[in-house]
Amino acid sequence: MKKRRFQLNEKQLGYAFVLPSLLLVFVVILWPVAQSFWNSMFDYRLNDPTRSEKMMDANIDLETYVDNYFFIESQLDALADTAVGDQDKQTIHEIEDGIEKHHSELISDKQVKEKVDKVDKLLMRYKPVNNTDLKYQKVDNDFAADYRKALSSYEQDLVAIAESSGDKDAQADFQQTADLLGSTNEAILKSNFIGFDNYKKYFKDKRMWQSLGNTTFFTVISVFFELVLGLLVALLINRTFKGRGLIRASVLIPWAVPTAVAAMMWGFLYDGQSGIVAHYLDVLKIIPGSSWLLSTGDGGLFSIILADVWKTTPYMALLILAGLQTIPGSLYEASDVDGANKFQQFFNITLPLLKSSILVALLFRTLDAFRVFDLIYVLTGGGPANSTESISVYAYKTMFAQQNFGEGSTLSVIVFLCVALISFIYVKLIGSELFAGRTK
Amino acid sequence: MNKRAGIGFYVFLIIFVFLVMFPFIWVFLTSIKPVGEIFSSFNWFTKNPTLDSYVAAFTQRPLLRYMLNSFVVSIVTTLLSVAFASFAAYALTRLPIKGKGLILGIVLASSMFPQVAILSPMFNIVTDLGLRNSYLGLVIPYITISLPLSIWILATFFQKIPYELEESAKLDGASPFQTFRKIIFPLAAPGVFTTGILVFIAAWNEYLFALTINSNDSWRTVPVGISMYTSEFSIPWGDISAATVIVTIPIVILVLIFQRRIVSGLTSGSVKE
Repeated sequence: MKKRRFQLNEKQLGYAFVLPSLLLVFVVILWPVAQSFWNSMFDYRLNDPTRSEKMMDANIDLETYVDNYFFIESQLDALADTAVGDQDKQTIHEIEDGIEKHHSELISDKQVKEKVDKVDKLLMRYKPVNNTDLKYQKVDNDFAADYRKALSSYEQDLVAIAESSGDKDAQADFQQTADLLGSTNEAILKSNFIGFDNYKKYFKDKRMWQSLGNTTFFTVISVFFELVLGLLVALLINRTFKGRGLIRASVLIPWAVPTAVAAMMWGFLYDGQSGIVAHYLDVLKIIPGSSWLLSTGDGGLFSIILADVWKTTPYMALLILAGLQTIPGSLYEASDVDGANKFQQFFNITLPLLKSSILVALLFRTLDAFRVFDLIYVLTGGGPANSTESISVYAYKTMFAQQNFGEGSTLSVIVFLCVALISFIYVKLIGSELFAGRTK
Repeated sequence: MNKRAGIGFYVFLIIFVFLVMFPFIWVFLTSIKPVGEIFSSFNWFTKNPTLDSYVAAFTQRPLLRYMLNSFVVSIVTTLLSVAFASFAAYALTRLPIKGKGLILGIVLASSMFPQVAILSPMFNIVTDLGLRNSYLGLVIPYITISLPLSIWILATFFQKIPYELEESAKLDGASPFQTFRKIIFPLAAPGVFTTGILVFIAAWNEYLFALTINSNDSWRTVPVGISMYTSEFSIPWGDISAATVIVTIPIVILVLIFQRRIVSGLTSGSVKE
């Protein structure tokens, strides 16, 4: 007989089944969103070496610092010999002492000393310091400020000596050491934690408000047309007829085509020279000129909305049609008997019973429309002159064209907050119906 | 309802289908025109049809490579997320665990998160793992879209399976896991398959992550690849329309075969029955 194998009871099995998905959701969704919030509180730029890491405290870039320190000592010694006046010699000694004092304070911490030695060894072998833990050393904010201040005053002293010196070679030597002190100064990094400064900046940023306005305008107008047209189409095709399959397929294809591909197609149709839609609309005098569509802000918004309505009305119609088909026909028969006309039937039976399907469809569509990216990015690129930019496009450009992750994250958090607000309003409207039937 | 369809109705249908399909029709007609004609006339039909644009679409850019990339990434994403999601959805609908409402709420909320809010940390994670310009580098971010979607749709499908079958299995002495594997999973297979199709389409169409993470041309997916056909000096509409036709054909086939399933999957999340 086989031994009875270890078995999970229903509850344990349930948790074991849910856990992997929950963990994934936390790791790939919730954690990154929290990170975005965190990033938005920093002056965090990938293309600026002094701000390419998020730092709560001041840090020293040991790679640069140790390398510079090695040269500073020997150069200052050499300068002490070339200096002519006693006063200049005196100044140079003071500088030497000052730097030595700060440096010994820095390496008085055993751990720091170890790291400095390690970095030194790597540098001696001309190897880059790739390990960020080794490269950056957290230091006291006051110490960093003090050291920076000292270094910049030493730099000025040396520049002053260089300027007063008559000898050209000596002048170059002094200037070189002054520059070295300047670069050492820059290796001592200030904390780039700035709290809510990015938010304050965007609160006053015209381009942000414009992109938010564009996004809202796009969302409201296109979702409105999609709802009205979708309802109309659903009501018309909610009957038995030949060729339903054809209709369903033709309705699904625009939905299934990648938005970026659809945007390229419409870009061709709207093209000022060879675009057929631009040409026909121009001939029919609906638009001021065939180049209006893609070369003006208003035309751009119109083009974007038209393309979106084309792509998503079918989806809306399908959702509403599914809702329509759950309404029992007996209701209409009964109202026919009572002598109600078609309009009364529509407003008293169809609409009230469709309410929840329509609200759910609206929720999904509104959120989708609000985070619009592909369509605008491919069709107009946000142009001309940022006039059709959506907030997602603005956030993307800030993060990846300007490499500014701090400000870009701020914009993406703004998108996130708007989306949260919209869903909150809808969920209030829909109530718990969304979950009904799914949990018991 | 059984309203009869008259001539007027069919005229309306034809106009509707024509309007919806017009961009495809026009792009197809353009793709077989000689390049000179595209820029010089608005004639619908060309007298000299040619496949030059198709040849150019394949040779100017690695279109086949884009399609392969999209296919691999979408398939892996679909398999992974549907596997994880079917366990989770089963537990959420059928097993006596606590906090179901909360978990479903988290799932629904995360499916509504704007992708741009995940973009920069995800970019850092993928870069740190050394996965930029690889398939896995896209599969990880795609899970953020596909997992909540799959759980949400699958939960509806599992809900529809009658309880009686489960109970009789229990009475026959099946363990909970056996019930899941032998009774529920086969019954839910059509729903799982439908979810798979929807997730596949969602992954195939994704643009933002693909644009930022796989920036090397030989790792680009179809949507990004197509959007890069424009060059700085001229827009090769012939190549673009041919490429569009080529990448649309698989979607049309998929839709034609699975239209019923797609519709049931799309509507199951939003309509109560």
